[in-house]
Amino acid sequence: MAILDKLKDGVQRELEGLEFVIGWEQGYDPLHASPLFIRTPGDIDRLIWNPLCVHNLASYLPSLKGRRVGILLKGCDSRSVIQLLQEGLIKREEIVIFGIPCRGVVDLSKIKSRIDTSQMRAVSLMDDAVVIEIPQGREEIPLDDVLATKCLSCQYPTPLIYDHLAGEVLPPQRPTEVLYKEVEVIEELDVQDRLAHWERELDRCIRCYACRNACPLCVCQDYCAAESRNPRWLSQRAGVSEKVMWHIMHALHLAGRCTDCGECERACPMDIPIQRIRRKINKEIKELFGYEAGVNPEDTPPLYTFKVEEPTIQEREW
Amino acid sequence: MRIGVFVCHCGTNIDGTVDSHQVAEEAKKFPHVVYATDYLYTCSEPGQQEIQQAVGEHDLDGVVVAACSPRMHENTFRRTIERAGLNRYMFEMANIREHCSWIGEDREANTHKAIELVRMAVAKVANHVHLHPSYFEVNKRVLVIGAGVAGMQAALDCADGGLDVVLVEKKSSIGGRMAQLDKTFPTVDCSICILGPKMVDVGQHEKIKLCTYSEIEDISGYVGNYTVNIRRKATYVDWGKCTGCGLCMEKCPSKKAYDYHNEGIADTTAINISFPQAIPKKATIDPEYCRQFTKGKCGVCAKVCPLGAIDYEMEDEIVAEEVGAIIVATGYGLLNMEELGEYGAGRYPDVITGIQYERFLNASGPTQGHVVRPSDGEEPKRVVFISCAGSRDASLDRPYCSNFCCMYIAKQAILTRDHIPDSEVYVFYMDTRSPSKGYEEFIRRAQEEYGVQYVRGRVSRIYPKGKRMVVRGADTLLGTQVEVETDLVVLATAATCAPEAEELAEKLRISYDEYGFYMESHPKLRPVETNTSGVFLAGACQGPKDIPAAVGQGSAAASKVLSLFSKDQLESDPQIAQVMELRCVGCLKCADTCPFQAIEEKELPDGRVVGHVIETVCQGCGLCTSICPSGAIQLQQCTDNQLIAEVEALCQAWRERSSG
Ligand SMILES: Cc1cc2nc3c(=O)[nH]c(=O)nc-3n(C[C@H](O)[C@H](O)[C@H](O)COP(=O)(O)OP(=O)(O)OC[C@H]3O[C@@H](n4cnc5c(N)ncnc54)[C@H](O)[C@@H]3O)c2cc1C
Ligand code: SF4
Ligand code: SF4
Ligand code: SF4
Ligand code: SF4
Repeated sequence: MAILDKLKDGVQRELEGLEFVIGWEQGYDPLHASPLFIRTPGDIDRLIWNPLCVHNLASYLPSLKGRRVGILLKGCDSRSVIQLLQEGLIKREEIVIFGIPCRGVVDLSKIKSRIDTSQMRAVSLMDDAVVIEIPQGREEIPLDDVLATKCLSCQYPTPLIYDHLAGEVLPPQRPTEVLYKEVEVIEELDVQDRLAHWERELDRCIRCYACRNACPLCVCQDYCAAESRNPRWLSQRAGVSEKVMWHIMHALHLAGRCTDCGECERACPMDIPIQRIRRKINKEIKELFGYEAGVNPEDTPPLYTFKVEEPTIQEREW
Repeated sequence: MRIGVFVCHCGTNIDGTVDSHQVAEEAKKFPHVVYATDYLYTCSEPGQQEIQQAVGEHDLDGVVVAACSPRMHENTFRRTIERAGLNRYMFEMANIREHCSWIGEDREANTHKAIELVRMAVAKVANHVHLHPSYFEVNKRVLVIGAGVAGMQAALDCADGGLDVVLVEKKSSIGGRMAQLDKTFPTVDCSICILGPKMVDVGQHEKIKLCTYSEIEDISGYVGNYTVNIRRKATYVDWGKCTGCGLCMEKCPSKKAYDYHNEGIADTTAINISFPQAIPKKATIDPEYCRQFTKGKCGVCAKVCPLGAIDYEMEDEIVAEEVGAIIVATGYGLLNMEELGEYGAGRYPDVITGIQYERFLNASGPTQGHVVRPSDGEEPKRVVFISCAGSRDASLDRPYCSNFCCMYIAKQAILTRDHIPDSEVYVFYMDTRSPSKGYEEFIRRAQEEYGVQYVRGRVSRIYPKGKRMVVRGADTLLGTQVEVETDLVVLATAATCAPEAEELAEKLRISYDEYGFYMESHPKLRPVETNTSGVFLAGACQGPKDIPAAVGQGSAAASKVLSLFSKDQLESDPQIAQVMELRCVGCLKCADTCPFQAIEEKELPDGRVVGHVIETVCQGCGLCTSICPSGAIQLQQCTDNQLIAEVEALCQAWRERSSG
């Protein structure tokens, strides 16, 4: 049975005990998928599964605490769920997880940077290519060229937590070395250049907070410290210093929690590479605490505990 | 806001490298500052009077003192401004001594830094609000953990002062290490003869509740109101019935049980009373050796006990006690001598530890005070003592001095010469430490009167030669190698922290150093306090110390508790965390992070869950405020807004400078 059929079959059987199941359906154009809320068996037919199913549906879960729902998760998405479980923000017994072994999803901005899709007529997805029909003809792009950056170093293609798995467990197939490549490039710049780099990138930020709203772990949402007047960390001024400050806040609140799902960067209308900041911090956390977020539900994020001495930090070796 | 700034010279401590006068002059220009001055010693009486006067004359409502560390004088100045009619929390100290004048010599740079520190403090005070302490009742009972000589002294002093005491001891009897010793330096009086009566006093005191063979399971609460769960370990003997007659010990067929009191130089029975003077004098069964437990059948003791006290089915029991203060007196441990491979410790039977030797010397020990060689039971004619076995040894990660070894080696050397007059005694030492009253004279006596040979140098190796051992080392005074053939080697093994000291510290929420010894609140001025209010230290748990020092600390800790309990109500510090419920998203990360479990979940009438700080438990450490993503939890008088104001002030200074 194909993955999609297995998913439909599973949803069919579980739906009765659930308020709804969250999946994906075809969106407003051939290149976009949209989240789908399956409430009745009739909705099941609309379900799709392909590399356009980019959304991390786990972002919905914290706001659904207390309700019984089902959810479709890719490997990377499952880490968000684990992280949310660790932090007590959702309850395991309230959700039914349909896991999907995933070979990667596309990064639409990579496609858009190659071809003008404004007048595209159709999109077909092959095993290793995306074919887009535009007025000028048929464009075939190798899938690897437009996969999301996170997918190119994916270590968790199979969800780490699930109730039903649609398909076989998929072993990791991507190299790990590339994960921090772009971080290392920036690390090599000297401080002034690094600041200049980020001021240039972040100056585009319009502080729409789409990145925050998309992040499954940004639990404060409307209570975000960035918009608070008491304490007042940020003003409404439009300068780059406030933008940089916003990103420092965002990144630090995700330190040791961010699972590198990429929703923030995907949601950004200004194409700011903010996931790079997260990766840098993830890298530091890994080096400092030997910790990777969203892998083991029993773990506690390293910054959410108090230890007189951290076992992994040799404070006294001076 | 009308703020006054008082800059202290601290003699030349500050003014030597900071222009205090200029700092005051600059401070006059800061927003809100209506008065600024400098003074030779602000903490002196005239200095404080000047503050009081200025508050009245200039109608101040906030005060900044730029001087030393707030640890020293924050409370002094709080009281000063309170006398002048201000809320005592409308105050801030800028530390321009430890953080400034003492750490650099460049007067101009220091002065500049001092000005900025004052600028920040002013910005902070401008955002201060009046705070008011609340009051809570005190439960005037005290828990003492560990019944060595320090804990016993503390318990007796508290009880004599009218307090109810719960004394918890891990072993079956009270007494601690001192109960194992033969004689005590420098007076060489019999240890148990001076300790015994104290033990009896403790056992009989109507205000002391003894819980021996017990451990602390967990502790919750705060100063004045702790709840302690005590695990009373199963003894398998009903102590209500046992009279300590010892019949069971005579008949017990399992005679090879490890004898803790005798440090393994003899065996004991599986059911035993650890030593004749034990208090309480009650039997316990060691299930590791008891045949009823290891083989499933025996029952001899149950048959012989005339009072039917034996109960093989007994289980651990958890007892809760409510107390208002805690004295920790859990003493020390000794380094496992097997760690000292170069001395053959653990491999050669005739290499023993000081505490084992103490048991050989002891008239109530297994050899009735006859010193013998463990390998063949013969009287040794030559004994070599090695000091600092594992202490003061950076390579073993134990650079500290174990404090009492030099002295007890001298004592044991003298006793050896007393017991075996034709013996020869050698001491290998690094240097002898004898700073207390009568100590130096005591070591001299060992050398001059008793002819003990002191060899200054480290021992590199010990190896057997026939029935004897050869000790090889350097004599650093003569600059030669020495080899001494001997019958017995005694190692002064390093004092370590008590077993499981760290676990207990976590339960008590007190800090400990890298070796597991508990940290006092201030090494000089608060030696028996900890940083957790209501928890005090006594004896060797804070660092190796001898009996006089341990007893002194026992009394000191007791006096701290008595003065704490002299009030019926305690004041709680209002500088604690507070949740703004409107902003809180109920993620409870604050609760996870709080090292004092001071935050609980609270449900609002609309069903929303928020964090809630338990006023009396919060220590004001501020960890929660750094983790709260929405800024909902704020430390009073150190809010985000205040920190931002301080940073703003700094940036403002920078902007002013760069615009010329
Ligand atoms: C060989 C040797 C000879 C010595 N000779 C002398 C001498 O002649 N003169 C002198 O002044 N000093 C001498 N000392 C030092 C002396 O032993 C100590 O100064 C003294 O015992 C310290 O008393 P204390 O009460 O602090 O600790 P301890 O005597 O160690 O007592 C601590 C007590 O706490 C109990 N305990 C530990 N952990 C727990 C727990 N978690 N819960 C409950 N109870 C616990 C222990 O069982 C023990 O009963 C000698 C030491 C050694 C090793
Ligand atoms: S910060 Fe970005 S990458 Fe990290 S968990 Fe949130 S959305 Fe995903
Ligand atoms: S989504 Fe992009 S533009 Fe919007 S706040 Fe985030 S980084 Fe800035
Ligand atoms: S961390 Fe902040 S938002 Fe979360 S429960 Fe605590 S006070 Fe509320
Ligand atoms: S300040 Fe916060 S973390 Fe610290 S003790 Fe108080 S509630 Fe706990």
